[in-house]
Amino acid sequence: MEARLGTLGSAFERGEPQASAGPTETRDLEHRPETVLSVLEADQLFAAKRQARFGRAQLSGGARVLLWGLRAYVIAMFFMVAMQVVHTVHGGH
Amino acid sequence: MSDSSLPRVQSPPQAGDGPAASDTIEGSITHEDIDRARDRLAVARAREPGASPGYVRWLRLSWLLIGPGVLVFLGENDAPSMLSYAATGAQFGIGFFVPFVLLTFLMGFVVQEMTVRLGAVTHRGHAELIFDRFGRFWGRFAMGDLVVGNFLTLVTEFIGVRAGLGFFGVPPLIAVGGAMVLVFGVLLTHRYWTWERIALGLAIFNGLFVPAALLAHPRWGMIGHAFLTWAPMPAGGLFKPDTFLIIMADIGATVTPWMLFFQQSAVADKGLQARDIRSGRIDTLLGTLLAATFGIATIVATAPLFAKGINASDYQAAQFAQALQPLIGRVGATLFALGIFEAGLVAAMTISTSSAYAFGEVFGTPHSLNRPLRESWGFYAVLLGSAFAAGAVVLVPHAPLEYIVLIVNVIAVLAMPPALLFLVLLVNDPAVMGEHTNGPWANGAVLIATVLLILAGLGFGLTTVFPKLLGGGG
Repeated sequence: MEARLGTLGSAFERGEPQASAGPTETRDLEHRPETVLSVLEADQLFAAKRQARFGRAQLSGGARVLLWGLRAYVIAMFFMVAMQVVHTVHGGH
Repeated sequence: MSDSSLPRVQSPPQAGDGPAASDTIEGSITHEDIDRARDRLAVARAREPGASPGYVRWLRLSWLLIGPGVLVFLGENDAPSMLSYAATGAQFGIGFFVPFVLLTFLMGFVVQEMTVRLGAVTHRGHAELIFDRFGRFWGRFAMGDLVVGNFLTLVTEFIGVRAGLGFFGVPPLIAVGGAMVLVFGVLLTHRYWTWERIALGLAIFNGLFVPAALLAHPRWGMIGHAFLTWAPMPAGGLFKPDTFLIIMADIGATVTPWMLFFQQSAVADKGLQARDIRSGRIDTLLGTLLAATFGIATIVATAPLFAKGINASDYQAAQFAQALQPLIGRVGATLFALGIFEAGLVAAMTISTSSAYAFGEVFGTPHSLNRPLRESWGFYAVLLGSAFAAGAVVLVPHAPLEYIVLIVNVIAVLAMPPALLFLVLLVNDPAVMGEHTNGPWANGAVLIATVLLILAGLGFGLTTVFPKLLGGGG
């Protein structure tokens, strides 16, 4: 199944009927999983996040060029930083 | 769905999917889920129309939902950033850099708001989304930038801690060791909410730079004039190498890769949902305005050094406080030193957490401050390990700490354009964001920010390789 995971708010906050919990009952959630399920969106649960992953994006040619260009930029600039550090250290001696 | 551009997402079991699915998911509810549900119940209660007047509910809701935005910006007002602002005030006084710093913070707001939407809509951290959508190859590059930048920045935070407390005669081992104990101690609460409130409580002391600035008896007319006219400009122009280095450092003091990773992960850990985006924006704007005020206050506090013609170009943290003492008094210098200590401490907490979130997201291991140590030892090991390693570097005799302070903000600026590209691709991806994709204004603003950052980086490269090209003397 392909789907974006829920962004509509939790069942609780959408005002859908809940099994037993009210908004003030926060102290014994360990024993009321149905409340946990109702108050969180489906993909906020840790187990759900592990099961459901976003798939790979289809990168356009332009995006690939930009990614490679900026990677080259970063490497070149880090090289400049290294040069400046060496220059500074060398100059200090 | 037949559109091949959509992600292949396996939908998790939902509460209404039937007994088998529900049992499976109920059986795997974690401590993290329970604590997050507790926070969401508090938010739901605050939203309920009840006996309280509307403004009381709004204040209550704001109190519950602020956090990541304020924390990321006050965390970014860290030791090297405050030292950059101090150097700015001391070398250039009140003028061009006062509105310039405000502009960089507004640029920071535009960028960080996108991470709020990403975190609230997807409930995923930034590293996880980059690996999922762009694959391991590009993900490793992004992580490499983050790891290098975060570690060097963490080192500078402990330099700030050491220097700030050094003003009061605290030995380095006690200062750094005490900060490490505090970073560790707050984690023992194993509750995101508590961690966030303690961090916010400490971060508000970033405001110590405001009374320090007031003690400098600033000329308000001059500050107003600077905001309106961006003048006076730095002597020798903007492309003089030392001026350009300050420009780079001030930009790096407001927009850095760790902020993207931290805020998105914190938004997800806090449990924000799409309907909370407005509150998340308010949180981010509040953080932007507070941090900009405190940053500009630091420039104002050290401006008397410029006015007196004192050369502060080689000053380190404690030296600023000592040099300011005759000008703004013992109280002002004390506030300044405490501010540097606070800046280092809060940033050490947030930046080490940013690294830990990213590692957990990439390796698929539990990564939440709502988890006890025994359930999420990898997450806490990265968090504490990175903080302890950085602290240890600061204690190494004759370590080249001054070089690290000098280059850390520069590295942040240089690593930012690719980080922004990942961010823009993600936040414009309808398969990820649905109806919450960027509008044209946000895309235009982030494009301008990216171009400015690239130009700043290229300018830095030119002034490094050809120091005389742009009018400097090398």
